[in-house]
Amino acid sequence: MKKKSAFGYVTLTAALSILLVACGGKSTSNNTDSSTAKSVSFSTAYKSSKAAIKGGTLNVAVVTDSPIKGIWSEQYYDDQTDADFMSPAAESLFSTDGSFKFTKDGAATITFDNDAKTATVKIKDNVKWSDGEPVTAQDYLFAYEQVANKDSETQRYTGALQNLEGLTEYHDGKSDSISGFEMPDGPDGKTAVLHFKEMKPSFTQSGNGYFLESAAPYHYLKDVPFKDMAASDKILKTPLFFGPFVMSKIVAGQSVEYTPNKYYYKGVPKLDKVTAEVVSSSSIAAALKNHKYDLALEMPTATYDNWKKISGYTNLGKEELSYTYLAFKVGKFDNDKSVNVLDKNAKMNNKSLRQAMAYALNNDDINAKFYPGGLRTTATTLIPPIFGEFHSDAKGYTLNIKKANSLLDKAGYKKGKDGYRTDPDGKKLTINFASMAGSDAAEAIAQDYIQQWKKIGLRVKLTSGRLLDYNNFYDKVEKDSKDIDVFQAAWGLSSEPSPADLYSEEAPYNMARFVTAENTKLLNDIDSQASLNTAHRVKAFKAWQDYMLDEAYVVPLQYRMAVTPVNNRVKNFNIAYGSDGTQWQDIQVTSASRAK
Amino acid sequence: MWKTILRRFLVMIPQLILLSVLVFVLAKMMPGDPFTGMITPQTDPKQLDALRAAAGLNDPWWTQYFRWVGNLFQGDLGNSYAYRRPVTGLIGDRAVNTFWLALFTLVISYAISIPLGVIAGRFEDSNRDKAIQVYTFILLAVPSFVFLLFSLLIFGYILDWFPTSGYVSLNVDAGTPAYWLSRFQHILLPGLTAGLLSTSGTIQYLRAGVIDNTNEDFVRTARSKGVPERVVFSKHILRNSLLPIAAFMGNSITGLLGGSIYVETIFSYQGMGQLFISSIGTRDYSVITALTLLFGFLTLLGNLLSDIIMSIVDPRIRVE
Repeated sequence: MKKKSAFGYVTLTAALSILLVACGGKSTSNNTDSSTAKSVSFSTAYKSSKAAIKGGTLNVAVVTDSPIKGIWSEQYYDDQTDADFMSPAAESLFSTDGSFKFTKDGAATITFDNDAKTATVKIKDNVKWSDGEPVTAQDYLFAYEQVANKDSETQRYTGALQNLEGLTEYHDGKSDSISGFEMPDGPDGKTAVLHFKEMKPSFTQSGNGYFLESAAPYHYLKDVPFKDMAASDKILKTPLFFGPFVMSKIVAGQSVEYTPNKYYYKGVPKLDKVTAEVVSSSSIAAALKNHKYDLALEMPTATYDNWKKISGYTNLGKEELSYTYLAFKVGKFDNDKSVNVLDKNAKMNNKSLRQAMAYALNNDDINAKFYPGGLRTTATTLIPPIFGEFHSDAKGYTLNIKKANSLLDKAGYKKGKDGYRTDPDGKKLTINFASMAGSDAAEAIAQDYIQQWKKIGLRVKLTSGRLLDYNNFYDKVEKDSKDIDVFQAAWGLSSEPSPADLYSEEAPYNMARFVTAENTKLLNDIDSQASLNTAHRVKAFKAWQDYMLDEAYVVPLQYRMAVTPVNNRVKNFNIAYGSDGTQWQDIQVTSASRAK
Repeated sequence: MWKTILRRFLVMIPQLILLSVLVFVLAKMMPGDPFTGMITPQTDPKQLDALRAAAGLNDPWWTQYFRWVGNLFQGDLGNSYAYRRPVTGLIGDRAVNTFWLALFTLVISYAISIPLGVIAGRFEDSNRDKAIQVYTFILLAVPSFVFLLFSLLIFGYILDWFPTSGYVSLNVDAGTPAYWLSRFQHILLPGLTAGLLSTSGTIQYLRAGVIDNTNEDFVRTARSKGVPERVVFSKHILRNSLLPIAAFMGNSITGLLGGSIYVETIFSYQGMGQLFISSIGTRDYSVITALTLLFGFLTLLGNLLSDIIMSIVDPRIRVE
């Protein structure tokens, strides 16, 4: 359930929301001097001291401008909106703590035997599907079959999963079963033993991608062919989960009603009902001002000013699993060999140049101006602080024009009469910068960067002379277009911090295309057998972050906050990660109508 | 008459074929493909490539085109990449929603614009006319999304008279009278607003038509013959003034059926306009091509419909 696509979608109506709120009565004054705006620290929970009423209905808004897909399956869904709608009903097998390490409070527990190269999954006896059938080892196996069966055509089937013995053979149709999935007590038993080709240090961390963390109801779906599964009524209209609530009524593309799952293993939820509904980004602020919903998920931070202060609501915030970054193109992807190849003569293959460009940016100022209230903070390293001990305390890049200039001077980038620098060979230097179109801020930020770079004598132009649409942008970036020397983008991260998928020699997502022996060594160390020892892994992570900061192939720019407004009548709602976070069964309301 | 209609239908076939080739090629020329949007650190690019190959996206466009045409003749428009289900069903659900909203919008639009246009034309330069003129200019001047957002804010949220999002409420069961009432309630606000918005053109045309026709020779003749003023107006002036409105009717019907991106997005109403715009964003080729073809067909049909309506109201056109 921890998955987010790369950022970049913004629809035509995003801009409209500003307008709507402008007519919402009270003018949300924007005059609070942005340069002095201090970052507000958000809380992850609103503590209500009032007594809860019995039952009650919770109304949830999910903000999106695209129609919802409504593929209610943890194996087949592929966007955040679907995940939001599923969250009261679908529950992962395993629980985690605040930094995503597996704990033992969930529906199942997982333990590892590094010598035998196995993981043992034990499903708790009282865990039942909402139709009363027990969740069994067979159900866990079935989730594997859904993902790995070729007919399923799901993008969830990955190289990492194939670390399970026999999964590739099953996918290729060479075998009818997955040899590495053992059920010692039989299919109806509660135990599954996974046999891996290799044990990985990331196994103890949720979202590692090496094994599945969800189950699917075999008894319910066994008759549906894998080819038709994702479009079947049993998934679209009457899905079955074992989480706290049941999707009792679904209006396709629009809203869902949930009632308590009376078989829920942690006890029957306290609310009578939950409803969730799609609301467009242009009208959500007005909807909250008129107290239509108890909480709103996926609030658009670009319009934060419009809804940051609404009576009756408290804004909860948590750090997103993501960062914005600046990457320098220094090579190409070799499609035949499937590896990144560094080009020694690339324009950007000069450490001083990259560092200077990083030092020239004034991200503190940009964050204060465009994301007031601490919605975005200047990033320091490529592992965000939410990952706790794995995050390095290194300072990162902050504005230092003097240093940037001296770096360039020393590296032989001489300033000409026109104020612009030439490259060390004395040739004219023009750097092409690509950035994605999106919010109003995107354009202003791109221009700000270009101005900052001009201050240190670098001539930087926007690729195509304008911001690129999402598809166009990634098309160019992935294909290593000549028109791009440096680009700005963002990654949504998994809850397992290993950066190998994004920065290794083989990773197609290493879109800066840098490859160095040192980087390969450091990355390998993070996922090496020695790193099965956490202390070693922590060191390996820090060494890699420090190396990346120094080389500056990819420079982290911003960390992001996700903000969720919640009505003050809601009790026991918490947006923290892990078991401290949202426990739908515990949520209550303190009055029949929303707090005004 | 029937011959004409048949002939028009036959001409549609090459037009649609041409359109389908154009749409197909243009869609493929857009940067990115349905799997571009799935880039995340957790998805395996190799699997995305495998899915691309399985979907036949690596084939040359003409191979893809003829495969698509072949399937089309078997009534199969393919599966949506984003929704993972057949395009026909996906569009079908939304087409129904869009149809009801469009019908209501159209009724409201004509119910308001025809009387206003007639009054404005008949009583030219009166205070009534001036008031109507001001009304149409305001409608023309205010961008439609502003109008839509204001009506949502005022009547939906502040006054709370209408539901604010979706096409039906959660707490009714499909098929019951309450269900249909709820659906009607959901199209009321978007339909009224969109209907009001589309009145200005008709009012202006009708007003101008009435004023022009009042000065025509045949009207003077009728008056000089002593035909009662009421009859002169309804039989001679009005009938002729309605001609351009009738000519546009077919097109406005199909225009509305295409769905309005603004109305549907702002009211989170599940219709075809909203589906179309999001499909372009996600490069959902099968949905894009199917919808464009459908819109193309509707446009041709609208033209035909306009001609048929014209031939009914204007006997001169009926000549074979």
